[in-house]
Amino acid sequence: MGQFGVAYFVLSNLSPKNNKSVFVRSKRKRIAYKNSEGEVEDEDDLMPGTERESLARGMSSQKGREYTIRLALEKKQDQYIDLKGITVYIGSWNVNGQSPGSICLSEWLSRTNEPPDIYAVGFQELDLSKEAFLFNDTPKEAEWRDSVKAGLHPGARYFHVRTIRLVGMMMIVFVREEIKDQLRHIAVEQIGTGLLGRMGNKGGVGVRFELNETSMCFVNLHLAAHVEEFQRRNQDFHQIFNRLGFFINEKVKYIKDHDQIFMFGDLNYRINPATIDATKAKALIEQEKYSIILEQDQLREQMRLGHVFSGFTEGTINYRPTYKYDSNTDNWDSSEKNRAPAWCDRILFRGGNLTQIDYTSQPQYKLSDHKPVSSFFNAKIKVINPTRQRKVYEETLKQMDRIENEYLPQVTVDIPGTNQSSHSNRNEINFGKVKFMEPLRKTFTVANTGQVPVHLEFIKKLNDSHVCKEWLKIEPVHSFIMPGETCEVELLVLVDKCTAAQLNVGRDTLYDILVLHLESGKDIFITVAGDFERSVFGCSIAALVNMSEPLTMISPGKLIELEKGKMPVNHYDIPKELWFLVDRLYRIGMDKDGLFTMAGSQSEVLEIRDWMDTIPNTPIPGNADSIAETMFLLLDCFPEPVIPFSMHLKCLDSAHNYTACKQLVRQLPAAHRNVFLYLTSFLRELLNHSDKNGLDAKILALLFGKIMIRDQNYNAKANARVERTKATFIYQFLVNDDYGDDLWPEMGEDLVSFS
Amino acid sequence: MSGGPYNYSYIFKYIIIGDMGVGKSCLLHQFTEKKFMADCPHTIGVEFGTRIIEVCGQKIKLQIWDTAGQERFRAVTRSYYRGAAGALIIYDITRRSTYNHLSSWLTDARNLTNPNTVIFLIGNKSDLDGQRDVTYEEAKKFADENGLKFVEASAKTGENVEEAFLETAKKIYESIQDGSLDLNAAESGVQKKPTANGARSLSADNAEGRNPSSCSC
Ligand SMILES: Nc1nc2c(ncn2[C@@H]2O[C@H](COP(=O)(O)OP(=O)(O)O)[C@@H](O)[C@H]2O)c(=O)[nH]1
Ligand SMILES: [Mg+2]
Repeated sequence: MGQFGVAYFVLSNLSPKNNKSVFVRSKRKRIAYKNSEGEVEDEDDLMPGTERESLARGMSSQKGREYTIRLALEKKQDQYIDLKGITVYIGSWNVNGQSPGSICLSEWLSRTNEPPDIYAVGFQELDLSKEAFLFNDTPKEAEWRDSVKAGLHPGARYFHVRTIRLVGMMMIVFVREEIKDQLRHIAVEQIGTGLLGRMGNKGGVGVRFELNETSMCFVNLHLAAHVEEFQRRNQDFHQIFNRLGFFINEKVKYIKDHDQIFMFGDLNYRINPATIDATKAKALIEQEKYSIILEQDQLREQMRLGHVFSGFTEGTINYRPTYKYDSNTDNWDSSEKNRAPAWCDRILFRGGNLTQIDYTSQPQYKLSDHKPVSSFFNAKIKVINPTRQRKVYEETLKQMDRIENEYLPQVTVDIPGTNQSSHSNRNEINFGKVKFMEPLRKTFTVANTGQVPVHLEFIKKLNDSHVCKEWLKIEPVHSFIMPGETCEVELLVLVDKCTAAQLNVGRDTLYDILVLHLESGKDIFITVAGDFERSVFGCSIAALVNMSEPLTMISPGKLIELEKGKMPVNHYDIPKELWFLVDRLYRIGMDKDGLFTMAGSQSEVLEIRDWMDTIPNTPIPGNADSIAETMFLLLDCFPEPVIPFSMHLKCLDSAHNYTACKQLVRQLPAAHRNVFLYLTSFLRELLNHSDKNGLDAKILALLFGKIMIRDQNYNAKANARVERTKATFIYQFLVNDDYGDDLWPEMGEDLVSFS
Repeated sequence: MSGGPYNYSYIFKYIIIGDMGVGKSCLLHQFTEKKFMADCPHTIGVEFGTRIIEVCGQKIKLQIWDTAGQERFRAVTRSYYRGAAGALIIYDITRRSTYNHLSSWLTDARNLTNPNTVIFLIGNKSDLDGQRDVTYEEAKKFADENGLKFVEASAKTGENVEEAFLETAKKIYESIQDGSLDLNAAESGVQKKPTANGARSLSADNAEGRNPSSCSC
């Protein structure tokens, strides 16, 4: 298949509609697309006018996109649709239950020079027998069909499209062989409006199809009889027009939904007898003054009043009334009923691109009490020009592309204090100096500068388990911004016990790249940076006992060395910072009510932090509670707790046996053992003051057990049983009489003497 | 036809990589908008553009990711390579340093994409021939040695821009046709859109694709 061939195949599935498409809201509160033919096209959540947005927002389901492109293509139909001329021949005859016999129908059906492209031939009263009425079964169907076939224009070969019959109403449709492949969605339907309002002695039968891109509908009618029943005829028409529905791919198409509609048959409308009686009518007919009589034609009148066949056209009638004759003659009805002449048999049409060429009757046929009528039309049908359609299609696709790019979410990030046009620090947030336990906040603004709502979210980088580093908090992590609106994002940097150790030795730095993701759009990187001021918090016991100077005097490299190094000789028995804190508590805190159980002042804790990092020549600041809290913090920040992680299981196992507990302490690394004994002997001393400070061994054991035998994961949920066992371990050293004499090895005198 | 009557049948993901300032964003913009954006702001993140093209009668939607070139973002931008069917590595013919870094970009492209990813080398700013710092021959040799497709292009004049993007798509499409690119693999970088009527299956498509004459472009 060549390229154009392919394109044609692809595009010929298109069924363009003349009429404007409308949106309706369906009951389920979803938005459904309905075209004027009443068929629901698409159940996607498409809202009027927002299909562009929905595409950009990633809601561009395949279906939604299909729909949008099709809609756009339909709007541009005139750019790629050509009109092609065809001819349509309509015939109608009430045959009064007669068989055709050997009658030749070509004088009725083959009156044009050129063979018509389409034939729709309708009959009424094909069979008046009880069998036909009750069982809808008649041999006459085949007889008449054969006669029609024989009477078609000899200049062409015809394809029988469909025959449809309801009791006496029958319609046969033929098209020329050459165009039969252009027919699509052929369907037939019937509706009875006779006895009880639904029997098939009156009503209509229809055939519909699409020829290329034009939908055509043919309906053969037989409406209610009797002069005075014109309102009943109107009613029959409406019932047929509104209710006759053709099923195509499980959707219903009504008569009105077609581009070109032909309705014809024995409509049974008469001449108003009050103004023109039978005698007068016959006289006027003899003078061929049809227009005078037609003034009183019920159909014309009802159409003028807008009661029936609205939108339909009927050609000029220049022929004698087709009803009622004595059979086999051209004489008016001579029965005792003496029916007045009338144009019962009519052909009407509706739709664009239709030109009626002639509209006549063939009075030479005398078989029935009616004469046959016929009409010949020039019709223009829509045919797709595949080359041009492809061009329009390509353009539409390109347009969609542009729209899709244009409607991508767009935001700007505004960071106060940075020059957003400068290349060097765009999208960079610098917190400057960051100190341990001192939270810093900065905010920036995200503005939706695009045309669609934006859903933004900070997302994880590949291989990361969190959106950002542990020392950073983002609020909010995701948000929704309408076009023209903004959202403020707050960043909080806080270095606490969880992160201090890493930052101290440069295993982590205050640097992170945040990925701000716009749903179905781009990602924006935001760099967060700061300088961490190292602190004793987060240093290990091993490093601290080898640090003879204040931390601020130690170079970063030296600190890394200290943290890494296996020092053969410890400079101090215990970290001097711990000694300072304990010593201070000895002086001011032993009698303090509820020491270690009350929070200190946050600002004092930070002052004590600065004092410890610099060790100036001034007394250590802060009250007893602040000192106690700082001590907890220092212990809690040891990367390896007093009882190292590797010994926790053993520690918990031995908790209930003092001898085993002591055995475990003996196995601690020297500095850890010293810290342990130093702290427990301090706690024993504290308990000697319990009459003043109100502390008891159980409380202290619980508090210090938690910290000295700290779990590896700071954020893990405490297990009550484990916590009790930890407390038991510490408790042994607070209450047993033979405390630790055998555990004190070579600790220096200066540290042991508290007073 | 395997696509719906009005739609594309495949989505190909591309990434554009290379040093900062070589013209990645301008190339993307030239390709999607057919315009040169001289004052293009620095990409700090990953930009995103789409365009539908046609290869061998198939509508294909290109989904193109334009990455930040700064070294400091390298670790982050690496996460965007995954699932790319095409990788365009760009250098600036007027700046040798950008050419010297190619092997590092190529290493990333090879390591972080799948073996079938089509890698295309583009020497950008060919309009600045007077300031040329890297010869065509040298770059061509590098491309040949590494099995890369290569053109010199200009985001400014548009020269060879269309060609590079389309050529890449054609190569990807060929690997689908000859079966070497497994669409079901999560990282193929290609998505097959379901047919509108559901009549054609993927396997039927492939079977037909093995016949080389079916690709008539
Ligand atoms: N003369 C010329 N300048 C270009 C071309 N492509 C990009 N530029 C310029 O090079 C600079 C960097 O382009 P950009 O697309 O932002 O580079 P990126 O960092 O790789 O995305 C901009 O000033 C562009 O105007 C080109 O083909 N010719
Ligand atoms: Mg860029």
